[in-house]
Amino acid sequence: MRIREHPILEFERGREVEFDFDGRRLCGHEGETIAAALHASGVRVLRKSIRHGRPRGFFCAIGRCSSCLMTVDGVPNVMTCVTPLRRGMKVETQTGKGTLAAEAKGAGSIAGDGSGSDLGTVPLAIVGAGPAGLSAAVYAGRLGVESVVVDENEVPGGQLIKQTHMFFGSLEHYARVRGVDIGTQLCRELEKCPSKLLTGTTVLGLYTDDPPWKTLSLMKNGVRGELRARTVVLATGASENMLAFENCDLPGVYGAGAVQTLMNVYGVAPGERVLMVGAGNIGLIVGYQLLQAAVDVAAVIDAMDEIGGYHVHAAKIRRMGVPILTSHTILSAGGTDRVERATISRVDSDWQPVEGTERTIDVDTICLAVGLTPNCELASMAGCDDEYVPELGGLVSAHDADLETSVPGVFIAGDASGIEEASTAMLEGRLAGLAAVERLEVEVDREKLLAMKEEAASGLSELRAGPFGDRPRLGKERMLALAASRGGDR
Amino acid sequence: MRTSADCVIIGGGVVGTAIAYYLAKRGMTDCVIVEADYLSSGATGRCGGGIRQQWSTEANTRLAIESVRLFAGLEDELDADIEFLQGGYLVLAYTEEDEEQFKKNVELQRGLGLDVQILSPADINEKVVPELNVEGVRMATYCAQDASANPFLTTQAYADAARRLGVSIELFTPVTKILTERGRVAGVETARGTIRAPLVVNAAGSHSVPIAATAGIDLPITPYRREILVTEPLERFFHPMIISFSFGIYFRQVKHGAVIGGYGDPAEPPGFNETSSLKFLRTMSWKLSHLMPRLNNVKVVRQWAGLYDMTPDAQPILGELDELPGFFQANGFSGHGFMICPKVAVLLAQAITGEEPDLDIERLSARRFTDGRITQDRSVV
Repeated sequence: MRIREHPILEFERGREVEFDFDGRRLCGHEGETIAAALHASGVRVLRKSIRHGRPRGFFCAIGRCSSCLMTVDGVPNVMTCVTPLRRGMKVETQTGKGTLAAEAKGAGSIAGDGSGSDLGTVPLAIVGAGPAGLSAAVYAGRLGVESVVVDENEVPGGQLIKQTHMFFGSLEHYARVRGVDIGTQLCRELEKCPSKLLTGTTVLGLYTDDPPWKTLSLMKNGVRGELRARTVVLATGASENMLAFENCDLPGVYGAGAVQTLMNVYGVAPGERVLMVGAGNIGLIVGYQLLQAAVDVAAVIDAMDEIGGYHVHAAKIRRMGVPILTSHTILSAGGTDRVERATISRVDSDWQPVEGTERTIDVDTICLAVGLTPNCELASMAGCDDEYVPELGGLVSAHDADLETSVPGVFIAGDASGIEEASTAMLEGRLAGLAAVERLEVEVDREKLLAMKEEAASGLSELRAGPFGDRPRLGKERMLALAASRGGDR
Repeated sequence: MRTSADCVIIGGGVVGTAIAYYLAKRGMTDCVIVEADYLSSGATGRCGGGIRQQWSTEANTRLAIESVRLFAGLEDELDADIEFLQGGYLVLAYTEEDEEQFKKNVELQRGLGLDVQILSPADINEKVVPELNVEGVRMATYCAQDASANPFLTTQAYADAARRLGVSIELFTPVTKILTERGRVAGVETARGTIRAPLVVNAAGSHSVPIAATAGIDLPITPYRREILVTEPLERFFHPMIISFSFGIYFRQVKHGAVIGGYGDPAEPPGFNETSSLKFLRTMSWKLSHLMPRLNNVKVVRQWAGLYDMTPDAQPILGELDELPGFFQANGFSGHGFMICPKVAVLLAQAITGEEPDLDIERLSARRFTDGRITQDRSVV
C-alpha cells in the first residue's frame, strides 16, 4: 500500500520502527501518524462505534472528526490521525468508551491550583500555521511585530503540505508554484521574522475575560501552558463535509483531504480503486492526484448537472479515461468491515434518484469532496458573534473588512472566515495580520502599513472578480452588510 | 402564530414546558409557550442534571421527594427516554459545621421517609465509590434514591407531550412586553406579534426580571454565572452524583459516560455573563483530579456557563402576583430548578386552573419578601 514511485513527490520517510497493534507486530515509519502506519499495513478498522459497535476508520485525517479514536499505550480516545508513531507503541482497536488507568492520588500533571506553565505575553498570537496563519505572521513580522504561531500538527503549512498541483492566478510569486512548495516558502520567510512557531501544540481554549488580553490555553505532549496575547488571528481552517448515505460510516469512506494527507504527505495509497464524489476543483484535483499515485479512479460523480471545477482539471482526468458523471449521486456503500462497492444512480432535476438507473461499482475507497465547513469553535468560545452565510460555508464569525470579529482584537482569516482557496487565504492572512498590527497601536511605519493593507485588499478583490469568485464575493458582501448592521454592538 | 390563548408561558426550559404539559393534561390545552431562543437554551440546557432529595428544610425535602416520584414515572408517562438514573447522591462533609448540619438534615429527612445513610470515610470507599479520595472528609450522607436525568431530553419530552395535547410552541420569539388591562395581565407582546391571554406564566429564569419589569414589577432575583465542564466519555466507574458545599463541587458520570460537573465561585460578581473562564477550568481540573485521581489525565471536551437566578433565600418564586392578577411566576430557582421541576410544575398548574395545590406553595409566593417570612435552606451548591 506504500507508494514507491511518484512523478512529483519524493517521500522522505523516517526510520522504520516496530509497534504493536492488537498483539501483532507491525512496522511503520517515525514521523508518520499512527493511522497512516496502520493504513500502510492494510488496517482500516480503528475502532467500534460506541452505540452499535459498527466498524470505524478515519474520515478527515486532520484531527477534526474523532472517527479514528484508539487506545494507545493504555490511554483511550487518542486521535490516531494526528498522533505521531513512536517505536514500541501499543496500539489497540477501541471497542467501548475507554477506561482511564487508575492513578495514585496526587499523581499526574495537575498543579496545586490547576494552572499550566506561563508562556508569557506576545503582541500577536496566530492559531493555525496554514497559508492564512503563516501569511499573517510574515506580514506582521515585516513591520517588526512579534508573533507566536501555534499549530497542532507536527509539520507547518496546513493543507498546503498536501497540494501537489500548481496554483493558478495572478499572484505575483505563487502562480505556477506547487502548494507544497508555497508552504515551504512561507516557512522560510517566517524564519526571517520575529516569530515563534509552536508545532504539535493544540489550542485548548481561547479566553477573553481579561481584556485587553486574550489567553490561549495550550497543550503539547500532555503538558499545558498559557500564553497571553494582545491580538489574535484565528486561521483555524475548515472541516470536510460528510454526506449521508447508507453505510457512509464504513472504513474506506474518506474525505478528499484525508486521501491527500495519506497519499501526498505519507506516501500511502488510500486503496486500489476509488469512487470520487464531487466534481468541484477539489474532487477533480484529488482525482488526478490519485491517478498520479497509480490508484485507479472508477468515476467522478456529482449531483449537479454540470462540472463545478475548472474545465482544465476535468479535461486532464477525462484524457486518462476517467468518466465524469454529472447528475449522479451515491446511494450506498457496501462491504462488511470496509468499503467493497458503491451503488450510484442518476438524479432528476429535483435531486431525487431516478429509479432503474442504479448501478454498483467495485471500489475499495469512496472519496468525498462535497465541500467544507469553517472551523469557528475557538471564535465562538471567545464570544465572537456568528452569522449564517451559506455562500461562505455556513456559520461564520461575523467580521468586518479588516477581518476583525465582534470581539476587538480577535481576527479571523482563511477558510475559517468563509470557504475559499489557498490564494485568498494567504491574502486574508496578510490583511488580518496587518490589521492586528494596526489595532496594536505600536510604533510602525503607518504609511507602509496602510499601503500593505491596501495591496492585500485589492488582491482579494481581484481574485474574487474571476468567474469562480462569485459565490465567495457574494458571501463576503453579505457578511459585511450583516456585520455593519450589528455594528452598534461594539 | 396564534394571536390569543388561554395561557401564555414565557420560557422553553424544563419549567415552562412542564407547566404547559400539566396544564394541558388538566384540560387547558389552549396554551402557547414563547421561547426567545430554542428549547433548553437557557439554564436548563446548561445545568448538571442532578436530582437531589437531601435538603435541610422540611418543605424543600417534601418537594424534592415528590419530584423524584414524578421523575421516576416520567419516561412512561411522556413516552420518552430521559436518561433517568437513580445513582444516588453522596454529600461530603469537610468541616465540623458541615457535620453538625448534616446530622440534623438526616434526622429531618429520615422523618419524612427518606432512606439516607451516614457514612464514614472508610464506608464511602467500601460501599459507594471505591476510588474517591477521602482525604479531609469527615463523613458523608448518601441517599441511593437520589437521581439524575438528561435536562435536554426531559424538556423535549415535556414539550413533545404538550404539543400532542394541543399546546403550541413558538421558538425564537422573545417577549418584549407584558400587556396589562384594568389592573390584570392581558397577554404578551413579542418580537413576532402580540398574543392576548388572561393568564401569563413567567418561567424565563434570570430573564424573568427584565420581562416582569415591563409591567413595572421588580422581582428580587439576581443572575450569577455558574460554570461547568464535560469530559470525554468513559466506561462507567462511579454511580452517584458527588457533591460538597464546603469543598465546592458537584460531578457525576452521565449515561453516555462523560463526567460532568462544576462548582460555584463565591467571588463571582452578579450579571448576565455567560462566558467561560480559564480560572474555572484550572480550579475544576484540580478539584476533580484531587477527588478522583483516575481523572488526572482525562480530556475535557467542553466548558460552558449558565445563569443561576438567585433569590435572597435561594428558593423559587411561585404563584400569582398580588399586584398583577393573572401574572404567575415560576422563576428564581437559584440553581435547583431542574430537580424540583416536576412537582413545582404540577403545583403551578393546579394553582392556575383553580385547583387546590396538594403541597403548600404559598410559602414560596413573592409575598414572603415583603412580610418577612424567609427561611434559608443551607443545602445550596
